[in-house]
Amino acid sequence: MKATHPVFCTIVPPHVLDKLARADDPALAGPARRTLEADAAQRARRQFAPVLGATSAAPPGDAAARTPHRTVHDAEHLRNLPGRKARGEGDEPHRDATVNRAYAGLGATFELLLKAFGRDSVDGNGLPLVASVHYGENYGNAFWDGEQMVFGDGDEIFRDFTLPVDVIAHELAHGMTQYTANLTYFGQSGALNESVSDVFGSLVKQYADGQSADRADWLIGAGLLTERVTGVALRSMKAPGTAYDDDLLGKDPQPATMDDYVRTDRDNGGVHINSGIPNHAFYLLATALGGKAWERAGQIWYDTLTAGNLEADVDFAGFARATAAAAQARFGDGEEREALLKAWSRVGVPTG
Amino acid sequence: MRIAVRRTGGFAGIERYAEVDTSERPDAGEWHALAESAVAEGRGTPPVGVPDGFSYQITVDGKTVYCADPRLTEAQTRLISQVLEEGA
Repeated sequence: MKATHPVFCTIVPPHVLDKLARADDPALAGPARRTLEADAAQRARRQFAPVLGATSAAPPGDAAARTPHRTVHDAEHLRNLPGRKARGEGDEPHRDATVNRAYAGLGATFELLLKAFGRDSVDGNGLPLVASVHYGENYGNAFWDGEQMVFGDGDEIFRDFTLPVDVIAHELAHGMTQYTANLTYFGQSGALNESVSDVFGSLVKQYADGQSADRADWLIGAGLLTERVTGVALRSMKAPGTAYDDDLLGKDPQPATMDDYVRTDRDNGGVHINSGIPNHAFYLLATALGGKAWERAGQIWYDTLTAGNLEADVDFAGFARATAAAAQARFGDGEEREALLKAWSRVGVPTG
Repeated sequence: MRIAVRRTGGFAGIERYAEVDTSERPDAGEWHALAESAVAEGRGTPPVGVPDGFSYQITVDGKTVYCADPRLTEAQTRLISQVLEEGA
């Protein structure tokens, strides 16, 4: 099942869309109306939410038969998407390492979703995975455009965005969020959207490396900064606010707890800043439980995202309560739920 | 003509700002034509962007318009990269 135009689903709060949809300017009103229609379709779909949850209970034999359908394109430094096809599913490795890294990163993400959660691709229904590399010139960014991943080659600050597998998985996780909880990309729900992408980005890296929670670096974008920048990564889930401290970039602005929550209207209300808080809660839970982070902590987050009862504009507290309900449903009154409540408490988010 | 570009969002969430004063530039005419197109094609309010996409605010002689990746026009793409590369 494909959303009518998912590109426009994520960034603006519904009340703003309502206003835009009524605007006289058709350039504004058209997309806003399409978004509202798409959102309505998403809501209708969520009413059948048990179907979403059912994918995680799929028998292993069924899961093993599922395979990814990947296509990596080369944008050839232009901004036309998707660009020229470079490598399709099952093709021999390409001479371009960037193409191959993107292809492998899509595969690693598909693998975690299938093996750990029984999910068939980002939509749970075998969605083909499409990526474009070499987007634009000196383009220091990567994004999810609602239908595919897009990667730039970097600039004076960042290297090639296909280098860290967690960055590739982060973008793909935006797709999964779009097809599940569809968290509105603004304010706290936007920070949760970002955090979910960091969580699954880190889990893909840990799964691919076979790492346990205590051995993982819990960094997002390690190896992405050029030698000109003083820093180890873009974000740290273990110690938000410590990933970089640089003359050019400034200091990592992420808070670890609600005491340092940042109020801002930039960056869609600080979605890449306050994501540090739910990121740190996940880290605390995963390391308290120990072992492989995707098995219990990751399962709770996955269940929360796919339960079908999260409001798109849920705040941190609402999300925390939903994780508690998910932990209870999956593991009962065990150590998982206890560790979870403690993790949220330590970052200052109420669950009561 | 003063042309300012503020870029926010992106995977890193790191903001960049630069501006160019064209009054002393030999190629001022080209800058003006480009800036006028970019502004004419901009929005009065920030458009709906995409996850991790850059958002841009372009201000030309006090008038501000908005645009966001990946939906930039040719003039906006060129103006933004020129200002961020050559501006201070």
